[in-house]
Amino acid sequence: MNVALIILIIETILIGMIPRAMPIFASALGETVDQSAGILNLGVEGIMLMGAITALLVDFFYHNPVLAFLVAGFVGLIFGAIHGILVISMKLDQTVIGTAIWFVGWGLSGVLYAATFGLSSSPPTVPTLPHIYIPYLTNIPFFGRFIFGEDPLVYILIGALIAVDYFLNHTKQGLNLRTVGHDPRVAEIMGVNPYLYRYAAVLFGGFMAGIGGAYITLGIVGSFYFDITAGMGFIAVALVYFGKWKPYRVFVGTLIFGAVYVFYFMMEDLYPKIPYEFYQMLPYIVTLIMILVIGTRAKPPASLAIPYIKGE
Amino acid sequence: MNTKEPIIRMENIVKVFPNVVANDGINFEIYPNEVHALLGENGAGKTTLMNILYGLYKPDSGNIYIYGKKVNIKNPLYAQKFGIGMVHQHFSLIPYFNVLENISIGLNELKINLNLEKVKKKLEEIMKKYGLLVDPEKRIEEMSVGEMQRVEILKLLFRGANVLILDEPTSALTPQEVDELFRSIRDLVKEGKSVVIITHKLYEVFQISDRITVLRKGKVTYKGLTSETTQEALVEAMIGKSVSFNDFSREQIKVEGSLRVEGLTLYGKGNVPIIKDVTFELKRGEILGIAAVAGNGEKELIDIIFGLIKQNSGKIILDGKEIQNKPVKNRIEMGLSFIPAERLTRGVAAGLALYYNSILHDHWSEPYIKHSIINEQEMRNFARKIIKSFEVVAKSEEVLAKQLSGGNLQKFIVGREMLRSSKYILAVNPTSGLDVSATQMVRQALVNMRNSGVGILLSSEDLDELVSVSDRIIVMYKGQIVGSFERHEFDKIKIGALMLGKNA
Ligand SMILES: Nc1ncnc2c1ncn2[C@@H]1O[C@H](COP(=O)(O)OP(=O)(O)O)[C@@H](O)[C@H]1O
Ligand SMILES: [Mg+2]
Repeated sequence: MNVALIILIIETILIGMIPRAMPIFASALGETVDQSAGILNLGVEGIMLMGAITALLVDFFYHNPVLAFLVAGFVGLIFGAIHGILVISMKLDQTVIGTAIWFVGWGLSGVLYAATFGLSSSPPTVPTLPHIYIPYLTNIPFFGRFIFGEDPLVYILIGALIAVDYFLNHTKQGLNLRTVGHDPRVAEIMGVNPYLYRYAAVLFGGFMAGIGGAYITLGIVGSFYFDITAGMGFIAVALVYFGKWKPYRVFVGTLIFGAVYVFYFMMEDLYPKIPYEFYQMLPYIVTLIMILVIGTRAKPPASLAIPYIKGE
Repeated sequence: MNTKEPIIRMENIVKVFPNVVANDGINFEIYPNEVHALLGENGAGKTTLMNILYGLYKPDSGNIYIYGKKVNIKNPLYAQKFGIGMVHQHFSLIPYFNVLENISIGLNELKINLNLEKVKKKLEEIMKKYGLLVDPEKRIEEMSVGEMQRVEILKLLFRGANVLILDEPTSALTPQEVDELFRSIRDLVKEGKSVVIITHKLYEVFQISDRITVLRKGKVTYKGLTSETTQEALVEAMIGKSVSFNDFSREQIKVEGSLRVEGLTLYGKGNVPIIKDVTFELKRGEILGIAAVAGNGEKELIDIIFGLIKQNSGKIILDGKEIQNKPVKNRIEMGLSFIPAERLTRGVAAGLALYYNSILHDHWSEPYIKHSIINEQEMRNFARKIIKSFEVVAKSEEVLAKQLSGGNLQKFIVGREMLRSSKYILAVNPTSGLDVSATQMVRQALVNMRNSGVGILLSSEDLDELVSVSDRIIVMYKGQIVGSFERHEFDKIKIGALMLGKNA
């Protein structure tokens, strides 16, 4: 291989990984906040599916992507609220409820799709988000498009990354929230209401998973099909472990996933003899290895997935 | 001293939990510039009373006055506002955070920005003023218990606490750390603070306190200045003097065999001995009581004998055979039974039906299992027998264990261990949480088993119970046997004093 080809491969990966990473990143950022407060939301996958179908429906009928994202986020928030009521107030098992939320989102998104468009062979399409174009900057070779030519949501999500990291590590409320994740009893004794923070966290987590799902339809595919998330919600949960509950590390984890994803598309073109399923498997295997290597040593918030029962 | 006005007055405090009246009309006062010891046995209601003052529990009735004004302490934030701070027995610290972060949790003076530099400045002033020194950047998980306690106290001072409540502050400290703590407490009082120290250790009271209130079973049994009291008066207030020998008819029968423990020793973290060179013999047809305040190695001792934890050295000899290295199953097969204190987590499989639970210790043997096939009918028969003979209130043997009330579950467990044919029973607090008649029934059953030749090792927090059923009582303190009494020598005051580490 010559140098030009290698540069081309790297450039393609750089440009391609961002949109691939974003849906997982949005959801993982929400899950990071969720888990920092001690709530394990395994239902991210289901909420993403709901976000994806909602965004498609809104954009298909109203041709308004901003509205589509907001409504998708809102639907995610509602799912987060339901999750919260079940696991925070009713103190039900977070693994079981998370799985149930996944199933509900999975089934309901399919039903909504089929009820609206039927089982037609030609799926409905919507335009994907336009990319920003800044004269000169976007044209810089190699990294111009990568840095200056993304769609607007990418920049919004990076803003959210900075904000969430600042919130968790440099504000009093962030410290309170992490305290709730480690030991809600201590929080209560220190005058912090654990329920309040946990609800805030599940609402944010749900909203972000809704946005993550919407990004799949509006940012990448421009359409919807059954089970479009293909496990991305679970990858998001896993990458929170990889990122050790630190937003920037989680972001890097999602970029690696995105890069491997693009890489497999390219390899598929270069070596078409290897079965397609093998390539498709690759990003998941890499994620698994990443978690095995790094995530097993990660120390989760001490009260993760443990309901808080006052006075015990 | 007597003419001082109290800062805080708790009046007629009543707090009822589902099973127990934890506080039964308590009056408690805190005076300025004093160390007030709140003394009492485990379960006397000390922590509950202070949790009420700290706003963690709401009293069922009673009032709290601060400087004569009636107040409603709805939650810990209110307590902090009134200058009340509490260090709980289990520290309220996040091990993963450093000192500054721990102090900043829920801190009102910070608005949004977590300005740790500002917190550090103020903390350093406080540390200097009270001579309580810690490294502000050090994580809690890297600290000794003594350091953690200093952080807890600093946290309260940081929030302007005027009254500091310390719940059993010495229970995990080394002797040097205790001295250090007591020095700090004296400094605090010199600086104008009041301290309430909760404890069940008698000698500490004389070392540190100015005033004493003793609780027993939710009621105040003594109140006065430390300088005007005696150890005897306090022991009596803590334990009660009514020596009610509840006589069960005892018969002596001769059965060969004994359970011997020789030089049993167990080390905990940092090579601190939990059990030190314990030796005794339990004969068949005898009830041997272990009297100890919780946390003196009595729990570990029973666990070791049953095989749940492994000793560091020493022997356990059952009917002449050494069993200290045998697995639990062997010990059960050799005739050992266990009635654990944690009945729902260790006594039963909570989610299984009673008839499955009835054979937990026999699930490998006939008649319940024959050629690897479960004989459900036999299981049901046995469960029904337990339910009937021990008057367990349960609709049928199909009820799940966790659906029984605490008392009924205990009757079921006690019944199971007594009706299976065992030679020795290890029983831990077998009547705790039972009502009067159930308690009486279980005690009667223990004595009946003894009369039929079973040896029973009974560890109980209830001294009345030990005195009423035991043939002999050994007293454990800090992992050692510090006294032994034959039935005719039983003296609750003496035993109680030994339990509290006081030389009789
Ligand atoms: N949250 C609770 N729920 C039910 N019972 C409780 C609770 N807290 C304490 N108790 C019971 O109240 C009694 C007094 O407990 P506590 O105040 O902790 O005693 P002490 O601190 O003197 O050892 C005990 O019988 C205990 O089992
Ligand atoms: Mg207590």
